[in-house]
Amino acid sequence: MSIFSIQLLTGLAYGMLYFMIAAGLTIILGVMNIVNLAHGTLFLISSYIAFTFISQNVGFWAALLLAMAGTAILGIIIERLLIKRVYGKELEQVLLTFGLTYIIADTAKWIWGTEMHTIAVPVFLDSSITMGSMVFPVYRLFVVLVGCGLALLLWYFESRTRIGAVIRAGVDDRDMVSALGINVGLVFTGVFAFGAALAGLSGVLGGPLIGIYTGMDSEILVTSLIVVVIGGLGSWKGSFIGAILIGLIETFGKVWFPSFSMLIVFLLMVVVLIIRPQGLFGREVA
Amino acid sequence: MKKNLLIMFLLLIAAAALPFIVSEYGINLAAEICIMAIFAMSLGLIMGYAGMVSLGHAAFFGIGSYTVTILGSHLSNFYLLILGSIVLSGLVALITGAIFIRTSKFYFLMITLAFGQLLFALTWQLKDLTGGADGMKISSTMNLGFGDIVSPLGIYFVMAGAAILVYIFLRFFVHSPAGKIIKGVMENESRMKALGYDPRIYKLLAYSVSGALAGFSGSLYGYFNLFVSPDLTNWMFSGQVMIMVIIGGVGTLIGPAIGAGLFIFLQNFISTYTERWPLIMGLLLVILVIVGKGGIIHWFALLRSKIFYRRSQKRMEYAQNHAQKEEVTN
Amino acid sequence: MSLLKVENISKSFKTLQVLQNVSVEVQPGERHVIIGPNGAGKTTLFNCITNVLSIDSGTVYLEGQEISHLPSRKLVHLGMSRTFQKNNLFGNLTVEENLHLAVTSTKSYRYQIFNALLKHEDLKKDTDEVLEQWGISSRRNVKVNFLSYGEQRLLEVLLAMAAKPKLLLLDEPTSGMSPAETIQTAEMIKKLPRSVSILIIEHDMEVVFSIADKITVLHHGEVILSGTPEEVRNNEQVRQIYFGGGAKAHA
Repeated sequence: MSIFSIQLLTGLAYGMLYFMIAAGLTIILGVMNIVNLAHGTLFLISSYIAFTFISQNVGFWAALLLAMAGTAILGIIIERLLIKRVYGKELEQVLLTFGLTYIIADTAKWIWGTEMHTIAVPVFLDSSITMGSMVFPVYRLFVVLVGCGLALLLWYFESRTRIGAVIRAGVDDRDMVSALGINVGLVFTGVFAFGAALAGLSGVLGGPLIGIYTGMDSEILVTSLIVVVIGGLGSWKGSFIGAILIGLIETFGKVWFPSFSMLIVFLLMVVVLIIRPQGLFGREVA
Repeated sequence: MKKNLLIMFLLLIAAAALPFIVSEYGINLAAEICIMAIFAMSLGLIMGYAGMVSLGHAAFFGIGSYTVTILGSHLSNFYLLILGSIVLSGLVALITGAIFIRTSKFYFLMITLAFGQLLFALTWQLKDLTGGADGMKISSTMNLGFGDIVSPLGIYFVMAGAAILVYIFLRFFVHSPAGKIIKGVMENESRMKALGYDPRIYKLLAYSVSGALAGFSGSLYGYFNLFVSPDLTNWMFSGQVMIMVIIGGVGTLIGPAIGAGLFIFLQNFISTYTERWPLIMGLLLVILVIVGKGGIIHWFALLRSKIFYRRSQKRMEYAQNHAQKEEVTN
Repeated sequence: MSLLKVENISKSFKTLQVLQNVSVEVQPGERHVIIGPNGAGKTTLFNCITNVLSIDSGTVYLEGQEISHLPSRKLVHLGMSRTFQKNNLFGNLTVEENLHLAVTSTKSYRYQIFNALLKHEDLKKDTDEVLEQWGISSRRNVKVNFLSYGEQRLLEVLLAMAAKPKLLLLDEPTSGMSPAETIQTAEMIKKLPRSVSILIIEHDMEVVFSIADKITVLHHGEVILSGTPEEVRNNEQVRQIYFGGGAKAHA
């Protein structure tokens, strides 16, 4: 029983990490119709940035904020300079973001090398809560809390603020929103930066849990895409559910079917797509 | 038609003459280019003629490579092994295609990517079968019935011959009724349905043929490289072949082959000078997209047409405004 | 036996009832026009007949055979073709290539992966026939995107005719046309052989009365009246819907 609860917590924590990065990806997709293949590298670079700051004795929290800011700024630069030239052109987007993946990942390799690094759990959270025979690492609880907090934030934004309404409207009818005097370009840049920041958040928080290694951008991108597909394009709610599912399946899968956890995840995606081709919360596709 | 035959003839001559012009290193490179040309043409079929953008095509390449490797320890007949690879990858394409084709553009892109990664994970995990991350060596040699082919020159001729065969096959395919219909489905699926066609059957046909051809290229790669590893199924490899198709020209048959040549050549050339080939390639791609000013495909097509078909611009205008009968296809 | 029998079909989108107990009959050889103000449900009716939309209740018969729930692509093979209100052509292909696709859909060789399409003599013959009959043979190699609007509209009809249907559904064939083009189109419709029965949605009253054998009036998703042009012209309710202001109804 105790092992089960700890696995549950672990699964949820990983799920939340996936949620953070997938939420960014799905919002960018939903609002801008951009498939950002470089999203995984944003996750990667954020981890490395935080790692660098921490090894210069900057505190975890400061490093987190700096890394998120850095990633957001990178996102703004990418969007303003590059992405904005390929709105609506799918093949060009693939080419562009794929090229960015190579640039960012190889630059990271150049600067930081190929050895694996880790980010230490911040002292403040480096403890565990004991309940009977069960020992829960506080850090994992923290990650779950942050994930839930993000979900709440997104829910609030979407339903209660003008920005949320604009974004929803922007998804449905870009020209109309523009005609209302709202600067769609600014909204897009903001959305992209926000998505990048979320990837950054996930990257840093993931440091203590999964470490930092070459190739993890590719892995996390695939996982995020699966989460987005299962949850439905553009739906952060769907990403929330999908990410938790994936996190749990992966964690328990590793215990019960070590070789096949990826297969199960994939089968889940296929099943969802067969029953609901638009994903759990996606909008009806024509 | 005459022009096309001339081009084909020139290509054949070039292919035959090449080994006498370049070094052994160049011959090896040329063989690799031929293999990748087949791979790129197979993806070009579904991207340019069926309008399906897949980021998981490497899965079929991998199936082809691993089939030859794994079966190769039990069988030694070249033809059987190649046939087995083609059939297996074609079947997998048929089965997965039946599911994936129901999905719309974005989802298709992502589900194909995920499938590729699934195969990657499987080749990684099933160590006993595939050798896992360490990869597997191929034990069989190419033998078309008149002796083992081990020299770079021999290997090159086999690969070049295969590439030419695939090109000819695809030419017949796109001009066939099914091929034309597949193109129609890409151009306007709703109208095709209104005209009485079932788009799914045709998309599935295109996807299966494409998968089988990709498997074919993978099986050839096995004989060429004598070593296979999970990276052959990775989505990054799928991305690379997609780049080859795009820079070569989506919607043409020979374009992807040219793109493959360009890509492999650049990759090899630049890699001899620096480790930072990925960075440079990424920069080149980004520059390509920016300079392309929205229509990099057209940019390349224009460039290509300027090099190969000098009258192309005039031809297009002429065909549009006059009654003269002319061939517009490649 | 009527060629097409639409019997009491209804269709609603969530809470909006778009069609209610609509019945229409088309006799062999007939030119049957559907008229009605915007939003009356005319295109929805077409979409329901061709099963692009599924009907909630009622039945549709083609030559006595029920077709209510068949996949829409099968209808061409049963002899029913349709056109679209907004041009739905293959813009990047030439006129000839467009027709090839239309003609091939009922040919036995449409699944062949060898044997070039253009080698089939019957295809060439059928296509040439259509091109010559309608006087656009000189435009055969022009990409559809470069045709004039009127030519595109003509091609729209020709694509549907290519399969030699028994029943042709024309959705607002004159929409967006100039007066001259409208007259041309009306003439073209009159030239169509009586072996093809036609169900047309049309707004232009002059066109309607010049070609109709029978008219069905649709309003708010219900059939107000179905009768001869005379009956419709003299009907009080129809007058109120349409001619209250005395002007010609436009698309």
